[in-house]
Amino acid sequence: MRWLTALAVLTCTTTLAAHHSFGVAFDATKTVTLTGVITKIEWMNPHTHVYMDVKDTSGKVVSWALEGYPPNVLERTGWKKDVTIKVGDTLTIFGWRARDGSPFAHLREATLASGQKLFFGPPAGTGEGPATVR
Amino acid sequence: MRLMGILIPSVFVASLAMAQTGAVQPAPKTVDGKPDLTGVYQASPRRGAWDAEAPGDEPGVPAARRPGDVAGVASEPIPFRPEARARAQEILNRRSIDDPAGHCIFLASPRITGVGLFPVQFVQTPTQVIIMYEYLWSFRVIPIGGTHPDDISPSYLGDSVGRWEGNTLVVDVVGFKPGGWLTLGMVHSDALHLIERYTRVDRDQLSYEVTIEDPKVLTKPFTQRITLMLREGTRLREYSCAENNMDPAVYEKMLKDPAASSSFLRSPEKPR
Repeated sequence: MRWLTALAVLTCTTTLAAHHSFGVAFDATKTVTLTGVITKIEWMNPHTHVYMDVKDTSGKVVSWALEGYPPNVLERTGWKKDVTIKVGDTLTIFGWRARDGSPFAHLREATLASGQKLFFGPPAGTGEGPATVR
Repeated sequence: MRLMGILIPSVFVASLAMAQTGAVQPAPKTVDGKPDLTGVYQASPRRGAWDAEAPGDEPGVPAARRPGDVAGVASEPIPFRPEARARAQEILNRRSIDDPAGHCIFLASPRITGVGLFPVQFVQTPTQVIIMYEYLWSFRVIPIGGTHPDDISPSYLGDSVGRWEGNTLVVDVVGFKPGGWLTLGMVHSDALHLIERYTRVDRDQLSYEVTIEDPKVLTKPFTQRITLMLREGTRLREYSCAENNMDPAVYEKMLKDPAASSSFLRSPEKPR
């Protein structure tokens, strides 16, 4: 039985998150899907940022800031700087909204104009940070 | 004994992996007959090339992928002293907003070793092993043999001295600055002492086992185990953390905004 307990610990303990817990600034329970046109890309550490103009339901254009993986991780997982996405491209994103309600989100998954989907942040079940000390 | 409990299923899982993936090649040796740790690795339970998760049908949810070949990360429960446990829970209630990593400050192992998104490179000579971490762009030079110098200045990654015990590189690490975050809210003291054991189990697999001692924070030592997998074709790329670090400003703004701070703070009574 003891090794079964150990296996449970082993299964539950995931590899540690990156620069910080995304759960600090972003709310995993407030997901958002947006489609817009890219206005700026900051391919920089410790997080890449994409800025996108999105029309709201009234037709007003809102500029969103989107934060995700650092460039090194993106480049190892299928992204190419200045190729995969460029200013002027249309992009659809799935993410978590900022806790302060501003037009700022943690970009988890991107869908390119071609329909290709790529992660831009950790997949479901990760990135929020642990809740209890074991 | 609890450690034995962790190792037994690891061996069991590894046996299953060999059955699934075919022959496992032996660990290479250096010309002087020592195990050769040279290579670029990444914390992962899977053999083969980089295999980050890919999107599935549901937004943000990854597609299914093959199970791990071997154990990934295993840890004994952290034997916190009561006051350290309370501090750790408070840190998690604050969703780790105070994490030094958010300010790009270096981290000690095992945390820096287990960040699965970033590779680690080992360079070995007969007299030194150098470990280079892409994450936070830091490195350790580990002399083989000898003792710690008597003029250690406390540092984030500590002072390391290595020796070979059979096929295992054993590294003794002391001389830490207090206040670093190791794992799950554990803030270590200046009494932190790591005993690391690096074993190249086979060509693909580097086992990292670390015993963590810190009598000011823990009631007894505990052990973590991380599997690093060889990532041929992967290179370390520069990671300049402070380049465009917006986090401190975002966090400061959130802490001043009652709505935002009440949203990120977890209730101590009902942590989510």
